Amino acid sequence: MLHIKCPHCGMRSQNEFSYGGDATVKRPELGKEISDQDWDNFVYNRKSLRGKHLELWQHLSGCRQWIKVERDTATHEIFRTLKANEDNS
Amino acid sequence: MSLITALANVHSIGQFGDHEGKNDNNLLKISEIKNLLIVQIAQYKNSTVSFENINIDGLRLKDKPLNVSNNNDTRILWNGPKNWLLVSTKNDLLKNISQNFKETDFAVTDLSHSRAIIQIEGQDSKEVLKKGCPFDFNNLEKNNSINSIYNGIAITVDMLEDNSNKVRLFALRSFGESLYHSITDASLEFGYKSI
Repeated sequence: MLHIKCPHCGMRSQNEFSYGGDATVKRPELGKEISDQDWDNFVYNRKSLRGKHLELWQHLSGCRQWIKVERDTATHEIFRTLKANEDNS
Repeated sequence: MSLITALANVHSIGQFGDHEGKNDNNLLKISEIKNLLIVQIAQYKNSTVSFENINIDGLRLKDKPLNVSNNNDTRILWNGPKNWLLVSTKNDLLKNISQNFKETDFAVTDLSHSRAIIQIEGQDSKEVLKKGCPFDFNNLEKNNSINSIYNGIAITVDMLEDNSNKVRLFALRSFGESLYHSITDASLEFGYKSI
């Protein structure tokens, strides 16, 4: 079982979280003209990377906040967690 | 008007499980807590007003994980960032709370009848919780509270006493019976007294 350190609550079991997908995807600017391909890329197309990956998780059974988790998709090692509004650079 | 409590249909008084030959004081005690005022207080994300100075029954809100501000009647549990659960035996406190929190900055919701509350007391109460909940209960101290899950049911755990390991579990009322069965089933091996 994975343990994820929620930046609000502390170390918790993965059972309390739900996975929310790639955290690096940015929504196209509101009102901006975008192509069908760009919209497709935003809504559907994802890379399936091996290695470090920045993901969104929600602490659904805890504080109910969305957080960012940097995780290795091959080893499941978690390097760091951030609040959703924190810069990941 | 008479109120039907959340566990009225399942909670029965008596001794159950492996209780024979054991001292009454060593048995787990399981009870339903009734008639509490339960209020959720949440500050809106775009609100910037300070909440530190707001006084409810002599208590102040603290945005600190695990924290429970408390006195003899009232407990304010940290539920998440800028989100608290107030539990009180003073049922008339709601008016005071509504007056203290501006509608434009806070959402105040009365949840009194939408929760089932189970109280477990006894040396093995943490062992019962460990059987269904992934949280490390060895680190839960007096006046700490957490949100977690017990056999898939979302619960709030409030640690009232650490000498007698007295804990209160809050679950959605509709999950109350299911949680009660889970808790009592997990308690059978220790023996419990239902009061």
